[in-house]
Amino acid sequence: MARKILCVAEKPAIARAVATHLSGGSFQTHAIRGNQYVKNYEFDFNFGGAWGACSVTMTSVVGHLTGLDFDREYKGWMSCPPGALFEAPVQETVDKDKLPIADNIRNQAKYSKALFIWTDCDREGEHIGSEVRNQAKAGNARIEIKRAKFSNTESAHVRRAALEPVNLDEYQASAVAARIELDLRIGAAFTRLQTLQLQTVVAALKEKVISYGSCQFPTLGFVVDRYLRVQNFKPETFWGIKVILSREGKKVNFLWKRVHLFDRAVVTMMLERCLLAKQAKVTKVNQKPTSKWRPLPLTTVDLQMMGSRFLRLDSQTIMKVAEALYTKGFISYPRTETDQFDKGIDLKKLVEKQYPDSSWGQYARELIDGKFRTPRSGRHNDKAHPPIHPVSWVSPNQLNANEKKVYEFVVRRFLACCSDDAKGQSTEIEIQYGEEFFHTNGLIVLERNYLDVYVYDKWESSQQLPNFERGELFEPTEANIFDGKTTAPNYLTEPELIGLMDANGIGTDATMAEHIAKIKEREYVAINQRGGGRSSVQEFIPTRLGVALVEGYDNVVEGLPNSVSLSKPFLRKEMELRMVEICSGTKTRQEVVQQSLDMYREVFIHTQRRINMLKTACRKYLVEETTS
Amino acid sequence: MTSPDQIAAQILSTKSLSVSQTWLNAFLSSSSTAQRNIPASALAKTAIFRLLASDIRESLSKHRSCVLPVDIHDPAVQERRLQGSIPVQVLDIEDIGTSLWSQIEAIERVERGEAIRGREIVRTIAVGEDPEASENNRANNNPANGAASTSGNSGYGPHRLILQDAAGTMVMGVEMQRIDGIALEKLAIGAKLLLRNPSIARGMVLLSPGSVTLLGGKIEALDKPWREGRKARLLEKTAGVER
Repeated sequence: MARKILCVAEKPAIARAVATHLSGGSFQTHAIRGNQYVKNYEFDFNFGGAWGACSVTMTSVVGHLTGLDFDREYKGWMSCPPGALFEAPVQETVDKDKLPIADNIRNQAKYSKALFIWTDCDREGEHIGSEVRNQAKAGNARIEIKRAKFSNTESAHVRRAALEPVNLDEYQASAVAARIELDLRIGAAFTRLQTLQLQTVVAALKEKVISYGSCQFPTLGFVVDRYLRVQNFKPETFWGIKVILSREGKKVNFLWKRVHLFDRAVVTMMLERCLLAKQAKVTKVNQKPTSKWRPLPLTTVDLQMMGSRFLRLDSQTIMKVAEALYTKGFISYPRTETDQFDKGIDLKKLVEKQYPDSSWGQYARELIDGKFRTPRSGRHNDKAHPPIHPVSWVSPNQLNANEKKVYEFVVRRFLACCSDDAKGQSTEIEIQYGEEFFHTNGLIVLERNYLDVYVYDKWESSQQLPNFERGELFEPTEANIFDGKTTAPNYLTEPELIGLMDANGIGTDATMAEHIAKIKEREYVAINQRGGGRSSVQEFIPTRLGVALVEGYDNVVEGLPNSVSLSKPFLRKEMELRMVEICSGTKTRQEVVQQSLDMYREVFIHTQRRINMLKTACRKYLVEETTS
Repeated sequence: MTSPDQIAAQILSTKSLSVSQTWLNAFLSSSSTAQRNIPASALAKTAIFRLLASDIRESLSKHRSCVLPVDIHDPAVQERRLQGSIPVQVLDIEDIGTSLWSQIEAIERVERGEAIRGREIVRTIAVGEDPEASENNRANNNPANGAASTSGNSGYGPHRLILQDAAGTMVMGVEMQRIDGIALEKLAIGAKLLLRNPSIARGMVLLSPGSVTLLGGKIEALDKPWREGRKARLLEKTAGVER
């Protein structure tokens, strides 16, 4: 038997990067038949251990190899009642356009003693790895299966991963298989049901597929919820008291402890009692050192939230760019929930790599010359990947505009993590005036530290406060009533939406951006530009169809105490939690699929029975409003 | 056999309430003979219990010393202090530190079942705040906090009450300092308070822990419709706010 090892990566670019690192740059490239992107790279490598020196073929897939679909007799939309799709037989087959890739793996496996899987180290990667394994086994039933554990494509890291193969994580692969089956069945059943029913109601929907997805709908739900809160909002007037003192040439504003109240007569009476007291008394003078903490190590959700806020890129773009930076070996794997660095990682060495940079190279040097601090640790660890960090330095002129922005953000964030907190001195003065309390705060920033490199955070000194002594009495220069109005919340922005999805357990960090893109593509939401120039913000506004669907589904379960609307996050959240149980081995794929199908089947039955709720909502928003 | 005077004295000494002669007689004649043989202290307890559930216009003395002056609402009076202990009952309670709208939203969250454990929805996220602060935010997703954060206030008042004395005089009370037990969920309509030497400013009774004793109780016939109609009243008021 030939001492040959077949390596398979998730994407052609990773295959090429790994081949380059393992071969030291000398490898032969062979095209494969039927696919122009996938190549086989051949070289020799000494894996040590059991394998030793071997010849290697490094190739790749292009994402998932197989797809799941219903048997032929269930494929037509009219072939069966939509509810039958909860049980209809399904089959996993290699996608037509992936057949040459599968062939290539089977052929290569014939001549190999082991398959070494190099898919990305996350749930999807584990599942893709299992697809690759199935093909390899079909070509060579006795082939040994191993998997590389890596989180970036930097040379030394890749070589180490090559020397320490591990096993494929079957649990994670099963979790993805369960999710794929659930998404197919639930998605198809509801999509067919609502499309067939709603097409007949409104002319505008005649040719349209109204797709349902168990992540998309709660995502849409957040957008509609906020939209309705803005639309229904009623402004109210409030009143408050402000106290001003001029001292040492400075004007000090004291803020009311009650902030403001919604009763004018009461506030007037309270102010009068302040004025009657004539003098205010200083009840508290608190001076204490304060600090603004350096940020936590970077996770995917944070990258998307901060990125869409500071870099003005949408989350999907950010993820694509981050992916490209990872593939090129500049940053670590960008899909991670971990916000704590492993003790074993040599952070200083990573900082040193940034020396050549003209913007932050000097800062990196100062860190190593004594200012370095161990990063704070957050509470999340996905046990697969470190927080996102730069793995090597790249000259800005090798990057395109978006790559430059994202790379800069990742580096600055990393250097900020390794810096000291910003330090300052805060002063809090509290006074009692009549029966009311007021306060004012001052801040003097003493050491900027991480703020020097993390330009996205702001923390600035306030006006310096005059001196106050505890117990002293003074007569305020002014005490007045002010009024104001409550304002509606703003429409949802992308960083907020990501935050809400994360907080409510919708989607994984890796898929959130896709769900957001989906509801845009389906025309359930549209983007609205608020403000202009640099301060402009993109907001999500639901379309009429989007509002109609959410209202319709909410009405379907109205008055049913134990059923929750599909526009709410609970059902999906529970499904995500069960995925985690598969990953930890406490539940099997079959159990989870059955339980989740049962939950959704119940809502499906309600929906069928009360389909008029959905129809009425669509008529309301798509017929009446457009004609009026 | 217990005399009405004994009971009245007992109620006065334990609760500082001067009970109406007529009400007490009715109470005693309604209680069975068996009860009449139980000790005065136990009978007084039953009387107090009934008293707290009653309308004080029927159950308490209208003597000058235990009712509010009739000109109490005079807005021209900057400040005055009443002497003695005056019992009143609560007819309305409102949170004036929180906007009506966020109170309505909080009620709707409960209506949608989002107050049930595990059914909470996080609706507000502080983007780009200090990580610790936003961590806190995520942990605290109960509806009360949500309402508080949108109104910029603590969500705990101050409260504005409508109070009524035994003679039927009504007056507004303002919670000047936080009083335990005065909260929308805790204070029932018809609950009794004892005002002790209260200050009145511009026609409003100033309520503070030093001038108020909470006796508790509830008038079921008022409390139930008040709770059921609360959202509708709030909605009506917000409609009135529009210019």
